[in-house]
Amino acid sequence: MDQTAPQNIVDLQGVKFAYAGQQGYALNGVTLSVKRGEFLSVIGHNGSGKSTLARLVNGLLQADEGTITVMGLNVSDPANTAEVRRHVGIVFQNPDNQMVASIVEDDIAFGPENVGIPREEIGRRIDWAIKAVGMEKYRRSSPAHLSGGQKQRVAVAGVLAVKPEVLILDESTAMLDPRGRREVTEVVRKLNKEEGITVILITHFMEEALMADRTIVLNRGEIAMQGAPDEIFKRGEGLETYNLSLPRIGVICKNLRSFGMDIPDLLSPAPLAEKIVENYNSKGIYAGESSSFTPVKIDSAHEWDIDIKNLAYTYSAKSPFASRALKGINLHIDDGEFFGIIGHTGSGKSTLIQHLNALIKLPQAQKRLRAKKPKKGRPTPVLPSLTVGGFDLTNRKCDFKALRASVGMVFQYPEYQLFAETVFADVAFGLKNFNRKLTREEVEEAVKSSITEVGLDYEEIKDKSPFDLSGGQKRRVAIAGVIVTRPHILVLDEPAAGLDPKGKKEIMELLHKLHREWCKTVIIVSHDMDEVAENCTGCAVISEGEVFAADVPARLFDRADELYALGLDIPVTFKIASLLKRDGFTVHCGGTVEDFSQKAAEIFSGEPSNRDPSPQTFADIADVKGEEGGKEDGNA
Amino acid sequence: MLNDVTFGQYYPTQSYVHRLDPRVKILALIAFIVMIFVADNFYSTAFCLVLLLLAIAFARVPFGRVLRSVKAIIFIIILTSVIQLFFHGGERVLVDQRVTDWWTIRICLEGVLYTIFLVLRLFLLVMASSVLTLTTTPVELADGIESLLKPLKYIKFPVHELALIMSIALRFIPTLIDETNRIISAQKARGADFDTGGPIARIKSVIPVMIPLLISAFRRAEELGDAMDARCYSGSKNRTKYKKLTLGWRDAVFALFVALLIAGVVLLNIYCLQIYAPFNAYVRV
Repeated sequence: MDQTAPQNIVDLQGVKFAYAGQQGYALNGVTLSVKRGEFLSVIGHNGSGKSTLARLVNGLLQADEGTITVMGLNVSDPANTAEVRRHVGIVFQNPDNQMVASIVEDDIAFGPENVGIPREEIGRRIDWAIKAVGMEKYRRSSPAHLSGGQKQRVAVAGVLAVKPEVLILDESTAMLDPRGRREVTEVVRKLNKEEGITVILITHFMEEALMADRTIVLNRGEIAMQGAPDEIFKRGEGLETYNLSLPRIGVICKNLRSFGMDIPDLLSPAPLAEKIVENYNSKGIYAGESSSFTPVKIDSAHEWDIDIKNLAYTYSAKSPFASRALKGINLHIDDGEFFGIIGHTGSGKSTLIQHLNALIKLPQAQKRLRAKKPKKGRPTPVLPSLTVGGFDLTNRKCDFKALRASVGMVFQYPEYQLFAETVFADVAFGLKNFNRKLTREEVEEAVKSSITEVGLDYEEIKDKSPFDLSGGQKRRVAIAGVIVTRPHILVLDEPAAGLDPKGKKEIMELLHKLHREWCKTVIIVSHDMDEVAENCTGCAVISEGEVFAADVPARLFDRADELYALGLDIPVTFKIASLLKRDGFTVHCGGTVEDFSQKAAEIFSGEPSNRDPSPQTFADIADVKGEEGGKEDGNA
Repeated sequence: MLNDVTFGQYYPTQSYVHRLDPRVKILALIAFIVMIFVADNFYSTAFCLVLLLLAIAFARVPFGRVLRSVKAIIFIIILTSVIQLFFHGGERVLVDQRVTDWWTIRICLEGVLYTIFLVLRLFLLVMASSVLTLTTTPVELADGIESLLKPLKYIKFPVHELALIMSIALRFIPTLIDETNRIISAQKARGADFDTGGPIARIKSVIPVMIPLLISAFRRAEELGDAMDARCYSGSKNRTKYKKLTLGWRDAVFALFVALLIAGVVLLNIYCLQIYAPFNAYVRV
């Protein structure tokens, strides 16, 4: 087993693996070598075998066929397991589920303790590892007080402290917000460049895959493509057949070419903007500003408007742990909008939406309102007001049950709240709670239509246990369980979180379908700027418990500099538009990739391209959206 | 709202008592409890009380918080004192009232004294324990217990495993509380009602919360197991320990304090009848 070339740190030869009780191979004949110091990214749809690969290399799973060697050690030999794990560290997806201690430094010490490092050396390793991930300030903190990105950095430090040669990140950024993702990927990139650690980055964020030296595309357990990341993305068409998608910027390049511009495939906004300017310089036609973007008019009766005034909320008030989540929110959401709420984790957006269906009641509506007499010399406290359609949430006698039936709320990772024995019972749960007088036929009718609505086969699925379904199906069942009451307003917290590009696209399509057909207002909470720019008719940015701005995406994202200052990102289309503006070209971008490409072509040709200039309808953009995007500042 | 940090009783502030080594605090508590029961007269019990109040003052914890801990056992206190009051025999009868043919209320001085003594002991016991939990984080407490149990390793007691279980439990309590809140909110949004209905309806209403919570706990356990494996965990064999509790001057001073307590109680026990003769009839129970 020792004849591996020394520069190959990980070697897989014809590896096959099948999970017990499942048909087919999760990995089907994978042959792969990773060089020392290489940065390899592995992309693939959910269930393509990416995570299986990680577990096999680390010896958490044993291959059925083929051999895996790590630094010349055969992984399937149990005598080598301990040593292999010292060389290969894995950071998993959920930061919460890989920490054992309640203090950061104790957790980092866990690995070194396990391999019997002397005490003083552990101290030095903690110093080094915590510095490598930039968490020195939080050495004595509790993980419960850290953000997702910080927790994941601690997890990376915990793995580093064992001094592995290979670092595997198994979708370690999937549950993080863009800021957290940036934090983690920066750390990983640095470790690769400066410490020479071999990195295998498993992800379904295409933009992350671009950081690597080499990319592998897994499809149904086989390596479908491999090569330098830009080569992979240039062969864009192939990706879609593997349920993946081209980065948005790749789509823009492709579109611009189809409008006759000379643009190669580029992967970051700055060179693309340069290329567009170059195109202008060579042709010399500038036809002036692009046609302006006309926001889609929403005609509605304003029957279900949402109006929020002075909404403030403090968690654990009057305790040493009080934290102000909302500091006075003023927001109006029209009936009929597809509204996006943007903000960091911890900005207060989840607290805000929980007010909409009175999961958090306003102080006036609570059972025991202690009428606070304003102290002398202090202004009378402003009480918040909140109306949703005809419901006045300040009124203690408001029918909160009817309100909750009208305002459906889908929480983050809704599949984790399924509980019933069958899909039918789970979907019917809400319906029966809200209306106990329904006949069996009526319940069946409603459940059937809502399961069909989310794109599942009613007859096939109704008697199954929800726990036997795949991840994507579970999420659909969970959404069916909310829309079964036909709410007028549907609120979703990160509906596409953790899904692969295809899954994301399908969920957004589903929401647009509901919005078109019967659901008046859809509100999504998201930290994916591109998702909001492409789908929403209006959006609000929440920052530090306040509304920073609320506008149509086209105008909101024009304020790029202010958004950057908040630590937020802007969609890739607006990024390029703002770069062009600096060079004197004005593109009034509506947000979608299609729209941007047309407008950009338009300013040089002088005439609106013959296609519909504002493809705000979903059908037009369905084929280009889906992936997370626009946060590769590092490349810019 | 259940909050991630408020589990347990820890009162975050900087004080002399907060900074003591957890092992010293645990041992001091044990010593204190033993002394409460060694103290057999009012002088020595009062001495315990004074020292406890002193400790509370040094801990800079609001007295109300300490007192509140007694609420948990108030029912037991009332019940036992009533029983003691009525059924403690004695010679110095205070009340002797015939209620019915078969029942006479008879309260003796000994009974009254003993009841007061008992209530005082229970108060001291609970308040002293709460000083420990108010000034020591659960993590420190677990570390302290682990360190104190270390000698048991030689009789094959799984000290390391126990410590790891405590550590993981502490680590996941806030996470699971958060999760519970999230599930409750989600089911409420689907019209679940946790506040009304009879006992059976209420028990039933817990199902939609418990099942997802259990499933999630199992999922987490599985993932944590994998993560621990990947981080080279292989039991207590050849394992080193990074964290070391160290004793400092504070702990030495506190040990003197405890010695004072023990000496005081023992001396007062011996000489209680020589302090002030007129009280002698009431001092001992």
